[in-house]
Amino acid sequence: MGIINLAPKILDPIPGGKYVVNAIDYVVNWARANSIWPLTYGTSCCAIEMMSSSMARYDIARFGSEVFRSSPRQADLFILAGTITRRMAPAIQMLWEQIPGPKYVIAMGACTISGGPFIYDNYSVVRGAQNLIPVDVFVPGCPPRPEALFHGLLTLREKILKETCRNPWHEGEPKDVSTMDRYREAAKTWAALEEMKDEQMAEARAKFKEEHPDYKSAFKPIRVKKPDFPEVERVPAKRFGMTQLELYTKLHAKFPNVTVHTRGEDTPEDVVANLPADCPLEVMLEKEDYLNVVEFVKNDPEFKMDYLIDVTAIDYDDHFDMVTMLRSLEIGHKIFLCVQLKKDFSIDEEKRPTSLLASVPTISHLYPGAEIKEREVYDMFGIKFENHPDLRRIFLDKDFVGYPLRKDFTHPEMIRRPI
Amino acid sequence: MSHQLPPGFRLERKSNTEEFFINMGPQHPSTHGALRLTLRMDGETIVEVVPHFGYIHRGMEKQAESMSYLQYIAMSDRQDYLTAIQNNLGVVIALEKGMNVGVPLRGEYIRVMLQELGRIASHLVFYGCFGGDLGGQTCLLFGFKEREMIHDMLEEVTGSRLTTNFFRPGGSRYDVPDTFIPRVKAFLDHMEDTMKDYERFLSKNIIVLERSIGIGVLSKEDAIAYGCSGPVLRASGVNFDVRRANPYSIYDQLDFDVPVFHNGDCYDRYQIRIAEIHESMKILRQCVEKFPTEGPWRSKEKPVRLPVGRYYSEIETAKGLYATYVVAATTGEKPYRIHTRGPSFPHIGAINKMAQGHKISDLVTIMATLDPVIPEIDR
Repeated sequence: MGIINLAPKILDPIPGGKYVVNAIDYVVNWARANSIWPLTYGTSCCAIEMMSSSMARYDIARFGSEVFRSSPRQADLFILAGTITRRMAPAIQMLWEQIPGPKYVIAMGACTISGGPFIYDNYSVVRGAQNLIPVDVFVPGCPPRPEALFHGLLTLREKILKETCRNPWHEGEPKDVSTMDRYREAAKTWAALEEMKDEQMAEARAKFKEEHPDYKSAFKPIRVKKPDFPEVERVPAKRFGMTQLELYTKLHAKFPNVTVHTRGEDTPEDVVANLPADCPLEVMLEKEDYLNVVEFVKNDPEFKMDYLIDVTAIDYDDHFDMVTMLRSLEIGHKIFLCVQLKKDFSIDEEKRPTSLLASVPTISHLYPGAEIKEREVYDMFGIKFENHPDLRRIFLDKDFVGYPLRKDFTHPEMIRRPI
Repeated sequence: MSHQLPPGFRLERKSNTEEFFINMGPQHPSTHGALRLTLRMDGETIVEVVPHFGYIHRGMEKQAESMSYLQYIAMSDRQDYLTAIQNNLGVVIALEKGMNVGVPLRGEYIRVMLQELGRIASHLVFYGCFGGDLGGQTCLLFGFKEREMIHDMLEEVTGSRLTTNFFRPGGSRYDVPDTFIPRVKAFLDHMEDTMKDYERFLSKNIIVLERSIGIGVLSKEDAIAYGCSGPVLRASGVNFDVRRANPYSIYDQLDFDVPVFHNGDCYDRYQIRIAEIHESMKILRQCVEKFPTEGPWRSKEKPVRLPVGRYYSEIETAKGLYATYVVAATTGEKPYRIHTRGPSFPHIGAINKMAQGHKISDLVTIMATLDPVIPEIDR
């Protein structure tokens, strides 16, 4: 729009020229404000509400924005629908740079405004899109209803209609204040405001007390009486396949080192026998037995654990508990194998948070589905899987420092949750 | 000449033609969110696909460590937002196992009805996206039209369209209003007719048949080995549905079939979801008839404190097996760790198996029929 932006310079000195400039403004703004084409972009929940708003019920076409463009080069509007993570941030900046100006940005939903539900104890979410690219309109909600998005769209329309070629649209400058805890900052401001109000009201309050010494507030808090609900006993779901005790005794006979969590003076058999029907058996293993046990339960005709539900881990002070959840699709029973992995404390204390502290053999040759699950455990806990075909970080960047799901994990961008 | 392959690719080079690599995502309309696939191409044929996750990794499991159990229910909404109401139940059942509380019959009926409504809503989005990805934008409009009716009902009951945060240990947050049952009835009557339109529109459409039959075949053995679940597993001929295999709530008292197809291709994965909508409607019809008009809808309210232990629950969401694993190291209101097993993660893990030897346009079909939700993978 370079030529149009020159119009005021040329036309304003001419008598009556400013009316021509106003007319140009009117036409250009009319065209821009009535056909804002958004970019097809969405990462999470807000994207579904954005889709809903473009469908028959809400019909975004009423506002001239029905043409969702898949290419940023054809779009005018960037609706940031969904959480922005640090890994996605460069992609978003690149998309924004590819949109030809004048371009507008709507930050849709709590996540793109401030981080939303992901403010505290988080190492991966960007707290607010305005840290990455200039934002024109913020639409609050988690997720905002389609009506709210339309309100945002109409607000943007008003903003566009106010533009003139005397003060043309220009690209903003992104700022970087992502570590700021907006909620706590705001809370401080509110507290200061309340204090100021208190001070201003102090005189009037004292005066009122003098004039009405026996005044009592007529306000009574309303208490809604909740109906009495009965106590209901939980009915455990039906069990299929072998009972937990049968599973345990068979496994124990084959591998004598297999135990279960016990408390007090209970024997393992007592603990297993008292498990509710829908509580899967969780056995403790030695690391050396792990591969043999998995192979055994997979191939044994009585167990037939052919289906891997999940692999996960739990971090404790001195060890990891790695839990492999298996089930038999045919017979219906489940077994959880919990391997205790002692942390390698021979590593320097300073280097411990960034180094792999334990290792365990992979089971990805038995269950191909375990490959990505083990990558997740490696990524989050720093447990090495021996002989894994492709052991890379899966959710975080390859240069990310530390392993987030360890209890001692710290990250410079992380804000602790206030208690 | 030995050249280094990008990370993740590991097949030996076979053909003599020049191979090249294509990047698909993270912003790509048919990857259903922020997923990135890198494709190794031989001409127009896919040699290998490597998925890259983590573009929407929000660290929910880390956050859960400083949250209370009840707060985590709200987190589960944001994992698989298409079946938010089902995820709520998955978390809540795990908490109920720890607290040892039960649910009265009316509460169970409320749960099951909302579950099935959620399943239909999710499958309708699948229908829309499947048609849309094959080039028929009309399907998107079709699918979302009926979905809005379900959203209206959900909004009336839970107060929210998408992120419901509705169930609580021992029942739910509120009772259903009196208008709920008539609305469900009206919806079912409407849906019965509409489903005929839906099926007439896609099921025998020549474009759909040509582009989905024999495409992305996942054999029975592979489906089990990769840990697939839900419609993807059942389309490959495995009769596994948690509602039947480990019945939770009152699913064991209801009469419904588990549709199973045997080819494991894209068309079967489409058909199975259509069949499941019919089964869900069958369940809803039974619930509407049997719904207890009197009686408590939740059990006595108790503080959510779990004793030391590990609790596991699994449910069947529209996408498949959704499992929650809660670790309580101390008796209290906060978990030591909560882990979620989402159904979409293994499906994307198996995408290489399905897409090998097909064209890029087939990969789009395969992605659509897997119906993944990426925030649930990355959490």
